[in-house]
Amino acid sequence: MSIEHFLDNSISSWMAGEGKHSDIVMSTRIRLARNLNGYRFPLAFTEDEAHKIDQSVSATLLDASDELHMQFSSFHIKDVSELSRQVLVEKHLISPKLANSPMTGSVLLSNDESVSVMVNEEDHIRIQCLFSGLQIQEAYAQADELDRVLDKELPYAFDEQFGYLTSCPTNTGTGLRASVMMHLPALTMTKQMNRIVTIISRLGMVVRGIYGEGSEALGNVYQVSNQTTLGKSEEDILADLQSITEQIIQKEREARDALLKHSANTLEDRLYRSLGTLSFARIMATDEAARCLSDVRLGIDMGLIEDVDMSILNECMVFMQPGFLQKYAGTSLNTSERDMFRAKLLRERLQKEEKQKTKGEESE
Amino acid sequence: MICENCKQRPAKVTVTQVHNGEHFERHYCEVCANSLHPFYVEYKQDPLSLHQLLSNWFSQTEQQPMQHKQQKNMIVCDECGWSIQRFLDEGKFGCANCYNSFRPQLPNVFKRLHNGNTKHIGKAPGALGEKIAIKKRIEAIRSQMKDAIDTESFEEAAKLRDEARDLENQLSTGGDQTDVN
Ligand SMILES: [Zn+2]
Ligand SMILES: [Zn+2]
Repeated sequence: MSIEHFLDNSISSWMAGEGKHSDIVMSTRIRLARNLNGYRFPLAFTEDEAHKIDQSVSATLLDASDELHMQFSSFHIKDVSELSRQVLVEKHLISPKLANSPMTGSVLLSNDESVSVMVNEEDHIRIQCLFSGLQIQEAYAQADELDRVLDKELPYAFDEQFGYLTSCPTNTGTGLRASVMMHLPALTMTKQMNRIVTIISRLGMVVRGIYGEGSEALGNVYQVSNQTTLGKSEEDILADLQSITEQIIQKEREARDALLKHSANTLEDRLYRSLGTLSFARIMATDEAARCLSDVRLGIDMGLIEDVDMSILNECMVFMQPGFLQKYAGTSLNTSERDMFRAKLLRERLQKEEKQKTKGEESE
Repeated sequence: MICENCKQRPAKVTVTQVHNGEHFERHYCEVCANSLHPFYVEYKQDPLSLHQLLSNWFSQTEQQPMQHKQQKNMIVCDECGWSIQRFLDEGKFGCANCYNSFRPQLPNVFKRLHNGNTKHIGKAPGALGEKIAIKKRIEAIRSQMKDAIDTESFEEAAKLRDEARDLENQLSTGGDQTDVN
């Protein structure tokens, strides 16, 4: 499949808003880091090594597509334009590190975009599985299957004491990073996030904002993931993440109930104001757009706002990023042009919803 | 909200500063945030804290006699040519053989990064991985066997005992029969 297939659509399968607890857990991601014996790690290897690794990993995966019941499209990063790379980054299909790598590297994508294998990122191989909602076991099973197929053909760097050997010592051991992306507006509004972040970090997990660059979580979207990869089995890492996630879900639901009980009118007013802003504003900066989208999504989840699709937050958080905006506009845009174009796209997205609700009524 | 620094562009980045134990929030535009806090763009990757962690570890060992420190600096991986100092500076290994070259020093590093852990206990690749998987299955069968004995289901227990014995035989005959599953 051509790269355009992966660029044109802002919706990947992981954004579908399906899976367990999908009103709070937007997606689940499993990442496995692997390296091959006989080649230095990407920070130290030569272009010749990079090329050989790329060839053998890509060939192995493409050969295994029948066994995996999965078709892959393979792209050399050097062949992908800078803007297209940025769009792939914004869709979480590749990392900024791979996008900016000067050496030969590739990404192999399954057609539904649930699997992406990066070759010559920080490690020789990064297997990534992205699932919608809370599906930790399902996503791991998929990643493990790919790992097994690669292991049959390729000599993994492994040590009895240290486990899978990775470029960064924070990944040594299982090489496994399991994470869930959560929308936690009520915990944020009720100022409970700081306390939760502290508790979670004591349990060997990390919480961080996933969108935006600052220390504030854009759109109240947080990523919770395991920090420890050494001295803990895969099963235990996954089970711990599952249990912590379920506890956070519980807390978020309690906070939502409390908001509804004690300040329903204020809350409803705020959420509808945000819907109004998204529907009519002409200039929309990223953080305002993210805040409004978070509000509207909360309104949908709580049954206060009807007739707007659940996937709106997942989808819009992706397409309102700079790379996507410019891809849609078909031209490069400066910051203020982007803010106007973002406002326009968000208006159109909401009007589409409006039209589906009351067919035939045109508003602009 | 507009940027606190230039008071022109809209504020898009919130930077939380900790000063004498108190948290302050600063709101900047992208341009000012970039020049005032050049590391904020790397926040997602967190390289700063890892680097700090490793160099803190190093400064602790630095208090040892000078000669000792110099010896440590001179440990070099013969595959990639990286010294242990370079590993500590970059926070990354140059190649898989670095783990061998710096092996005595690594438990100290890992302890700090992985909650006190220094040994891998997860899955393993290839024949070794299959061996570990068989060992795990034997353990599971043994615990089932104990339950069976406790509930006096001796026939079931005998069956499980034979199953475990078969698997143990597979392990002891070595790599020839690794094509399980
Ligand atoms: Zn400014
Ligand atoms: Zn090395």
